[in-house]
Amino acid sequence: MAGSRVDCKVVLLGKAYGGKTSLVERYLHDRFNAEMPYQNTIGAAFGAKRVEVDGKIVTLGIWDTAGSERYEAMSKIYYRGAKAAVVCYDLTDDGSFERAKFWVKELNDNEEACRVYLCGTKLDLVQENRKARKVDYHMTTDYADEIHAEVIETSSKTGFNVSELFEKVAEGFARDPANRQTVQICSSVQQYPSTSLSKGAENFQVTEQGKSRGGCCS
Amino acid sequence: MAAMTESTLPAQPLPSAEVLEVTPDDLEDSAPGASEDHMLIAAESYEDINVAIDEQYQRGKVGGENEKTDKTENEISQSARELSIDDTRSTTPSDEGRETPKEEVSMETKERSNSVLSNRDRPQHVEEECYSPEWRQRQKHVFILSEAGKPIYTRHGNEDKLVTTMGVMQALVSFVQDNNDNIRFMIAGSHKFVFLNRPPVMLVCVSHSAESTQQLLLHLTYVYNQVISVLTFSQLSKIFERKRNYDLRRLLTGTEKFLDNLINLMDRDPMFLLSAVRCLPLASSVRDIIGQSIAQAKAKDLVFAILVGRDNQLVTVVRMKEHSLHPADLHLVFNLVDASTSFQSAESWTPICLPKFNSNGYLHAHVSYLDEECSACLLLLSADRDVFFELSEARQKIVTRLNKYGCLQAVRESLGKGSYKVAQIGIPDLRHFMYKSKSTAQYTSSELEAPYTEEGERHRLFGMYQYLHHRVHNSARPLKILFHVGSKETMLGWITSGFELYATFGPLVTKPAAINAINKLLRWIKKEEDRLFILNSYTY
Repeated sequence: MAGSRVDCKVVLLGKAYGGKTSLVERYLHDRFNAEMPYQNTIGAAFGAKRVEVDGKIVTLGIWDTAGSERYEAMSKIYYRGAKAAVVCYDLTDDGSFERAKFWVKELNDNEEACRVYLCGTKLDLVQENRKARKVDYHMTTDYADEIHAEVIETSSKTGFNVSELFEKVAEGFARDPANRQTVQICSSVQQYPSTSLSKGAENFQVTEQGKSRGGCCS
Repeated sequence: MAAMTESTLPAQPLPSAEVLEVTPDDLEDSAPGASEDHMLIAAESYEDINVAIDEQYQRGKVGGENEKTDKTENEISQSARELSIDDTRSTTPSDEGRETPKEEVSMETKERSNSVLSNRDRPQHVEEECYSPEWRQRQKHVFILSEAGKPIYTRHGNEDKLVTTMGVMQALVSFVQDNNDNIRFMIAGSHKFVFLNRPPVMLVCVSHSAESTQQLLLHLTYVYNQVISVLTFSQLSKIFERKRNYDLRRLLTGTEKFLDNLINLMDRDPMFLLSAVRCLPLASSVRDIIGQSIAQAKAKDLVFAILVGRDNQLVTVVRMKEHSLHPADLHLVFNLVDASTSFQSAESWTPICLPKFNSNGYLHAHVSYLDEECSACLLLLSADRDVFFELSEARQKIVTRLNKYGCLQAVRESLGKGSYKVAQIGIPDLRHFMYKSKSTAQYTSSELEAPYTEEGERHRLFGMYQYLHHRVHNSARPLKILFHVGSKETMLGWITSGFELYATFGPLVTKPAAINAINKLLRWIKKEEDRLFILNSYTY
């Protein structure tokens, strides 16, 4: 295990049935099962993956959260200390973009240091049938400029733009001078081994931020 | 029960003298599978619903100050008693309709049978049409509505289409409440309407199955607890305090499958009926290593660690010394694991409320399967919501140790083998049995074999067990032992202070032969108790 390791906490937020779990499945395990019936996430699922940026190893610790409204009150548990948030919306559901705006506001209010990535999902459906698109691309980029975020449209079915999205996240994290300190802190904290279940997942570490407390949600 | 009336001899309890005669003293003293260990809280069947009834009764009583209402109450409980006795005798469809209110309900429902298909927030889930003949003929309906009469959940169909029906239910409940009383159930023909009022929600079950009203009330209590498990009681009551006509479905999106799954499980798994859990048969040495391994991987504020195998079989529970787990809470944990495949792909971190443990607060559960085949699921429940990584590390240690000692292999093998065949016990005529050790709240049962491998027969047998259970637990006339001769099988139910036993024999077995067989069976269970039950648990 050579090289300095960094843990970048990434949280996925967005309306239920927005494709967050599929996105993570595609990225971590490179799989997509169209036949499998929809399973809503319970609480949040965790997975990790190591990527290399400019010769440095960055470990992304990805929290795939449940979109259901009842978890809203306790969503802080999941996004607290996150370095990046991938706010997902379904390109075929305009309501999901409204929900994305809610999450952006929530993050701006509570986690200033968190970089926001707006991620349109299910691009394949829109490409198949142009009429299915309910969220206008230019509208999203305008909004992204306003909140200093980036927009990326993905398809977990085809894999289009999925690893690009997470590479962007990792680069954004590694190249941010504010995270230099984290690199040093991290090289001294203990390691957590990868799980046997998450194939392709690698070791990750907890940053100091991950351990800080705050908020109330019980 | 209708199917077997033709050649059914009247079921009768054995004279008590005979009971004493056949009870071996040594077995009375220490029932097989008994233990002093308090891993699980020893729970009686109907424990919950008796409380529920008491509460409802109390609530009615407090308001009922004038004589007149008291009288109504007496009348009603009087007729309720009659009904429940009637209920025990026969549940045949020929049973005459007793009262009229049901008529009104069905009239109401008939009027609007032209509703359209629409899917609620259950993507890819085909909704059946409400009020269609198929919908009406469903054996068991379960509804949840708010006190304001707003639909929250229906087992079949789409609750959006049931606004009026739920309105009628709400009206029935509040009409009786106006007299400072509570409606418990109505019987109309072969249908039972059972009500459970748990402000701020009410639950209604409409069924034409063989189950007794008490058993249906038990179902409703579980459904209510499932809602609490998702929201906590304090959150639920706060929401409705703030807004009386709140649409609770918003908060329950994604939970329908847990409710659906729970109700389906209750239709086939006896653990709810028995208020007990089934353990995965394992050599006690293996179970000890598993318990030790889990207990050693301690983490801050870890309250319970639960390892559960496929088909809701408990491998072990490790607990904080001062806390025990109630079987009803464990059933909800089983349901959580059983209803969802989303835990199979990654480690999860989710809040869960265990209503018996604390109905007002969440525990935080680290949920993960321990191997690729997803044979055993580990849940680490902590009071601290920030300890995911600590628990993840603890889990890793547990996996390493369990693999080192070959425990996961042993678990997989036991799961692969299934339960035991009744032939292994060597008792001719015995077809199947269920045995509950009361002190440990655990039960064991043999595999279902032909003819009960076929779905319809299995369902019928389960109905017979429900009937047997109902008869021996009937509050109006509890029985110690019941020998029931039916056209297709003979059943025996036996309750002592230490155990409950329900056994199925061939139809031609004689009473003495059955009693003999039972004694032999008890000795066999005693011999196997280390493997079939968890007799020692580990604590943090």
